[in-house]
Parts: sequence; structure tokens; C-alpha cells
Amino acid sequence: MVDLSIALGNKLSLSNPILTASGTFGYGDEISDIVDIGLYGGIVTKSLTLKPRKGNPPPRVVETPCGMINSIGLANIGVDSFLEGKSEFLRNYTGKVFVNIAGRTDLEYCEILKRLTEENWIDGFEINVSCPNVSEGGIEFGTDPKILRKLVLKLRDLTDKFLMIKLSPNVTDIRILAETLQEFGADAVSMINTVYGSAVDINTRKPLINSVIGGLSGPAIKPIAIANIIKAYQVIDIPIIGVGGISSGKDVIEFMLAGASAVQLGTVHFYNPLVINEILQFLKEYCLQNNILSIGDIIGKAEV
Amino acid sequence: MRKFTETEVVENVNIAKDIYRLKLNIPDIVKSVEPGQFLNIYFQNSPNIFPRPFSIAGIDDDNILILYKVVGKQTEKMSSWQKGYKTVVLGPLGNSFDLSSDNDISHVLVAGGVGIAPLMFVCDKLSLMGINPYFFIGAKNKSELLIIEDPKSRLYISTDDGSAGFAGNVVDHFKSVINSIKKPVSVYACGPDEMNKALVNMGVVPGIRVQVSLERVMACGLGICQGCAIKTKDISGNNYYSLVCKDGPVFKGGEIIF
Repeated sequence: MVDLSIALGNKLSLSNPILTASGTFGYGDEISDIVDIGLYGGIVTKSLTLKPRKGNPPPRVVETPCGMINSIGLANIGVDSFLEGKSEFLRNYTGKVFVNIAGRTDLEYCEILKRLTEENWIDGFEINVSCPNVSEGGIEFGTDPKILRKLVLKLRDLTDKFLMIKLSPNVTDIRILAETLQEFGADAVSMINTVYGSAVDINTRKPLINSVIGGLSGPAIKPIAIANIIKAYQVIDIPIIGVGGISSGKDVIEFMLAGASAVQLGTVHFYNPLVINEILQFLKEYCLQNNILSIGDIIGKAEV
Repeated sequence: MRKFTETEVVENVNIAKDIYRLKLNIPDIVKSVEPGQFLNIYFQNSPNIFPRPFSIAGIDDDNILILYKVVGKQTEKMSSWQKGYKTVVLGPLGNSFDLSSDNDISHVLVAGGVGIAPLMFVCDKLSLMGINPYFFIGAKNKSELLIIEDPKSRLYISTDDGSAGFAGNVVDHFKSVINSIKKPVSVYACGPDEMNKALVNMGVVPGIRVQVSLERVMACGLGICQGCAIKTKDISGNNYYSLVCKDGPVFKGGEIIF
């Protein structure tokens, strides 16, 4: 019997290391008729903002080789409708629930967190400081260590729940930001958010995405994620949640060897909605074949 | 109810220039599908990651009919699929055309190019309801025409180059005969956006109701990614975004902001 459970520090543990990535799984309920969401260790919700957001004007997505660029603009129902409409479903969910939140200012992040932290069905938060497309959850929070430190300190004061911060790869050295997060009390770091990307129509000469530059995701960014995880793993001890282009069980193992304690599946949900089934199967077989009793044993074991 | 399932190609034939008719065995989808809905086809091991959404063009026993035009790598791949080839699909997705009518309504289908696909299904359904719709079909030229005769409808053919039927676009053709069609008129349309827009503009006068099926790039087709948003408005003029995959693909003419 293979043990797929993972302890994320001493605050919580997952039944398996697979989470959903924010924005690729809604709030769980919209896709539960197709996917058995109970198979995931947990879900990370779409980014929530204080007020509902309509999102960016179209075109919002474009397909690129082995990936896609998006500029959705954090279209979401806002924290009030979330609590009203989604809590019943998520309360009954057997995995862990991580609410992703995005704000325009420190104050907004804090306001959202305050509204949610007392809810007993929420297991933790993912703080979006790395969305390339909007000022909310904007990347400025996640690129300057001083601004990031200020935000994390405030959020840490407001909640004892699991606090994970999602970092951008669009920085000079992700290690400095990861160290900052560890030093100022984050429970985990998730990395990476999307990579700046753009595409232009050669006939109309217009950008193929409304905001000109959007966020690249999918298998195209997997090596970038792996490189950043390897770097961060060398300097921090808090868990790293790996995300970026994972589409198979083999990818999950690769992320864990690089230093991820758990992973998030994102864009793959669009082209292989049932991927969780084959991933869990692969993880079990891999562990059996390699005499690994607990999958946690492979974290950071890449010989780098 | 939408279902994610593996299916087998029953038939895949070239029916006009670059246009194919694909028949897939999907009894589960046949049971519940309505005209206007679409399905996603998934591709394995491709650098193009998005599934491709296709309007359902009809049903035949336990099979779903799809019409597609070869426009890129995925559709090119599809054109080589042989009988027995297995592929993964998800459907039925999206909403459907409102076919409700009282006896006095004239039903008019307006198709531009391969946009004819969902309207063939509408035509089948209307026929089952005992209705003989007007069917305006526009193509670039004769070689791209998908239908030249149809016992289930009153057919009006046009080509941009005049190689068959009315010379000009399908909207002008419709306009040229609209006075002979008894109002009120219910228009069902699918085609390029310029065509859709022209029809929607015709629908701002009383007596003409327009429904349009739109095509947009979709990443998921499920309402999850929110990538296929379009600008829409309600009766009071309030603007908001709608998702073509979930709120559509069929919209009332007045809702769409082009």
C-alpha cells in the first residue's frame, strides 16, 4: 500500500499531493458533474476579489504552441456571492479548500481575509500577488520584496489558517521573494503563476489578446516552473506547491523531485478534464515500482 | 446531461471543398442533444492544446453528425480519421435555439459557409414539428456549397461569385425576398460575424426575431476558463460579458454587442 498523503508543515495534510490551480476549476461545483473532485487532495478556488469583477474585454485567450495565453482579468463573483452561493457545496467537500484572494491594496487583501478566516470549511488561503493582467492581485505585490513583506505581515496577523503565497516567475530572482515569505510567516509558497506572453496576428497586425501581454500557461512553461522550484527549494524550508504546465503523473513526480511538496493542476483541465484519474494511478505505480512507501519521501530528491 | 466519453468514428467524408461530414457514435449525447448545442473534440499528443468545439449538425440513429472545414492543423488531422478511429468528446455543451412558435410564424434559417451545421439540425427538428422553413444558404462559390437540394425546406442558394444561385451574400439574398415572406419571421442564423451582425440589425424592426449561434475561440468549453466572453446587453441597455460556451452559443439578436 502506497501512502500518497502529504503533510504541509504542521498545519494541515493532504490525502494526496494534487490540488487544482486557481482559475482552472471554478469553485469546484461547476465541473463536479464531469470530474470526481473528491479525488483531489484539495481545491484552490478562482481568485476572489472584494467586489465582483466582470473581467477584461475579449479576446481573452489564445492558443500558442504547447500552451495558451490568457487575460481573463480575474472575472469572479466577489466575496459576498462566494459566501452566499458556494459555501454549502464546499462545506461538504471532502478535500481541503484553499480560497485564492486578490486585492488592489493591502487593505483589500486584509478585508477579504477577515471576511473568510472565521469560516470553518476553509482550510487555507492562496494569496495571488502575481496575476499579470490586472491591478487586483497584481504583480507589483509579488515582485518587490519590501511590498510583499508588508502584505504578508498584515495577513499573518489576521489568520492562523494555512497561508500560501503564489509567486510569479516574472522576477529577477525568485529566491529573494521566497525567503521573504518564509521569514515573515507564510506557511507555503506556490509557484509559478503564468509567464508574460504575447502573440500578434500577422495579417491584421493586431495583438491576439486584448491586453497585448497576458499570462502564458500550459506545458510550454513546465521547465520554467521546475527551474524556479529547484532554486527556491535550495533556500527555504516551508513547503513549495508546484504549478506550471503539469499534464501527467510523470510531471508530478518531476515537480516533487525538484522540491515541490504538492502540486496544482491548471491548464491541463481544459484539454484533459479527467487527468486526475490517470495521475493518481501513475503515482501509485511509480511508488510501487521504485519501492517508495510514502510519496513524500521523494520531495527534493533530484540530484541537482 | 453533458458527458465526457470516448467515441468511434462511423464515417468521415469529404462533402465539398475542404468540408467534411463526421459521424460519431455517441448514444449518450444523441439522447439529450438539442439544435444549437455543440461538443468538444479532444486531441492527444498535439502541440495545440485546446479541444475544438463543433456545432452538432444532426443525429442519425446513435450517431452525432459534425460538419467541419479544414482550416488548421487539428481539422487537417481530423480529415484523415478513418472509420473506427477512437477520439474523446464532451457534450452536449451550451444552450440551444428556441424553436417555440405559434402557427403564424415563418421560420427562416440563414447560413454562411460552414455555419450551416447547427441550422441543418434546426431544419430537421422543425421538419419533425411539421414546419417547412425557408433555408438561405450562402457560400463563397459553388464548390463550397453543402446543400443543393433539401426536401425539408424551401431552399434559397447564393454564392459570392455567382457560380450558383443568387450572386451576392446571403443577407442580401434574404433581403431581396423578405417582402414575400409572411411576418412575423423567426430567423435562426450562423455564419461569419459580419453576416450575423447584418441579420441582427434587420431584427431591430418589429416582426423579425433573430437568434444567432456564435463561434469563438474556447479554451475549455465548460464555463470554467471564462476565455470566450463576448460583450452583451440586457433590455435596459446594461452591458455585461456572456460566455459563448455556457450562456451561448445561441444568443438573441438584441443581446449581442458586435
